[in-house]
Amino acid sequence: MSSSLLLWRRACLALLALLWAVPSPPPAWAAAHDLGRSGDWGVWPAVVGAALVVALALLGIRLVRERAARRRAELSLGERLRFETLLSEQVATFSRVSGADVDPAIQRALRRIADSLSVDWGNLTEYSDDNQTARVTHWWVAEGVGLQPSAIGFEEIPWVVTRLRRGELVRFSTTDELPAGEAAVDRQTYRRLGIKSQVAVPLTVEGEVVGALAFSTVGTERVWRDEFVQRLHLLGDVFANTLSRRRSEMEGQRLLQDLAHVGRVSTMGELTASLAHELNQPLTAILSNAQAAQRILDAGATDLAEIREILADIVEDDKRAGEVIQRLRGFLRKGQLEFSTLDVGELVRQVARLVGSDAIIRNVVVRLDLAIGLPPVRGDRVQLQQVVLNLLMNGLDAMRECDAGERTLVLRTFMAGPARVVVAVTDSGVGIKEADLEQVFHAFYTTKPDGLGMGLAIARSIVEAHGGQLDATRNPEGGTTFSFTLPTIKGPA
Amino acid sequence: MAAPLVFLVDDDASVRKSLARLVKTAGYEAELFASVRDFLARAPYDGPCCLVLDVRMPGLTGLDLQEALRVAGQHLAIVFITGHRDVPVSVKAMKAGAVDFLTKPVDAETLLGAIRQAVARTLTDRRRQARVTEIRGRIATLTPREAAVFALVVTGMLNKQIGAELGIAEKTVKVHRARVMEKMQAGSLAELVRLADEGSVIAAGS
Repeated sequence: MSSSLLLWRRACLALLALLWAVPSPPPAWAAAHDLGRSGDWGVWPAVVGAALVVALALLGIRLVRERAARRRAELSLGERLRFETLLSEQVATFSRVSGADVDPAIQRALRRIADSLSVDWGNLTEYSDDNQTARVTHWWVAEGVGLQPSAIGFEEIPWVVTRLRRGELVRFSTTDELPAGEAAVDRQTYRRLGIKSQVAVPLTVEGEVVGALAFSTVGTERVWRDEFVQRLHLLGDVFANTLSRRRSEMEGQRLLQDLAHVGRVSTMGELTASLAHELNQPLTAILSNAQAAQRILDAGATDLAEIREILADIVEDDKRAGEVIQRLRGFLRKGQLEFSTLDVGELVRQVARLVGSDAIIRNVVVRLDLAIGLPPVRGDRVQLQQVVLNLLMNGLDAMRECDAGERTLVLRTFMAGPARVVVAVTDSGVGIKEADLEQVFHAFYTTKPDGLGMGLAIARSIVEAHGGQLDATRNPEGGTTFSFTLPTIKGPA
Repeated sequence: MAAPLVFLVDDDASVRKSLARLVKTAGYEAELFASVRDFLARAPYDGPCCLVLDVRMPGLTGLDLQEALRVAGQHLAIVFITGHRDVPVSVKAMKAGAVDFLTKPVDAETLLGAIRQAVARTLTDRRRQARVTEIRGRIATLTPREAAVFALVVTGMLNKQIGAELGIAEKTVKVHRARVMEKMQAGSLAELVRLADEGSVIAAGS
């Protein structure tokens, strides 16, 4: 039996004993009233006693009910153990996830926690850097509850949000516990939505509040025990770290994307002559074909077979010109990374085509030596094309000083080990001094009069972001080989 | 007489094909080559013809071909077509005797005009070349003494002066001079001077 119930019983017994054993005079205040004037002194103990008994009884009933309700709401020992296990699982999970896996992992964690606690609503809110806006980024709602994640605007729960932003815990087992005055708006909101109880912990990273993690019940009250809140803080820390790690990852990625775009634009600048040539060829063919057809018709030809053939060729060349522009546009695309399954050989071939006319202009023979049947890799097509293009252009530049007959650029793809594809670009150029081999990857290192010195630095970042490695080696017969590895997509385990 | 032949050298198949169609509409025959090397493998053609040549191609370039033809002494007028304007290259090509240097895409009228001009140029160049060869053939039949008399006659010297110059009798000069006129197939002094001129222009040029 609980101690407060025992106390209540003892209080009742003591009071009853006192009432019957000691007949007391009417209290001083009674004398001033009608009761006192009636002169019936014997009635007082009975009246007071009865009132007290009734009060105690009422109090007792309420106490018993409350206790029962609380017992029901508290987690059983088994449930608590399960929750502990769940928490440690989440801690382990979140120490590993990064990048694109973070969102689904948080989503899963919310669902599992909410499930195991039998709460109705769990959500994670991120605050903006300037603390001006808050956004519910992840949520889970129990089936049939009908709450929408956007159900609560932050202006609708100003007191709660203010507390969380100050880094304070919010916990109430019924909305009655919310301060009537300052949290009046919050109260009203929760009542309207049917939310009875809630626990919300701020997420902090290095002392700064970056968001909040909250669980609520709808329809039923819930007592949030201290030890549970402690565990929730722990989970909050894990989430907070994961989110902040991802935030810096994303910033890094955005920076790399911007840099990569700049790199592509400048490489394209170098390729302008080549692209003009590539567009000019189909345009030349189209114009000559069209004018030939006009002349044939002007000459009064009646046989349309040739005209038909000419028109077919015009269509083909027009498509060809379109493809050049498409390739260019695809290459200069600026935006989100798009990871997809890629055939490395195809990728290399596409870039070689892009550089084709430039190589002709520079009198360089480009040779492709691509292994057949390489397993696919996963990556962003544009960025990886950029890496290959950068290596190709460097190779072409390295051979500027060579005799025309010796300018050869070899592109190879092959396997290195069971799960790595290698792309190697070998030039027969001037070569790089052994001491400078690593230098070339540093930002702003350049040997070109008009170079930015960012190309290889960007290329290496891109390759590393794809889980690979980019290195340079000196060829025994002269020139340099730049090669990078990419992990292949593992087959189903 | 056979239709003039236009040799088209361009590494792009559809450009070749379309240009061939175009020149055929103007009454020319066309022969297509994907590279300079392919063209060089073809036997020289004596009939009326010209060359339409892309500047930039894998392997040997259009300028390389122009140089090769010059070295071989083949007279074949060239119309260059290029993907992009490159002033130094076009100056070089024009100085080396190209008929025109056109930028792709090239208008039919412009190209056909240039081709017409180039075919004519090939013809005149070859005629001049044939004439020079003939004159030089005649000069080759002169004895050293006759050649010496010939060289002085065309400068306008009198027989007496030539005799003094060469240390021979005026009468002997007269005999040599008559032989020169005969061998060079010249009916007058004026004609002999013109032959000397035509022959030496080439001699100085080559």
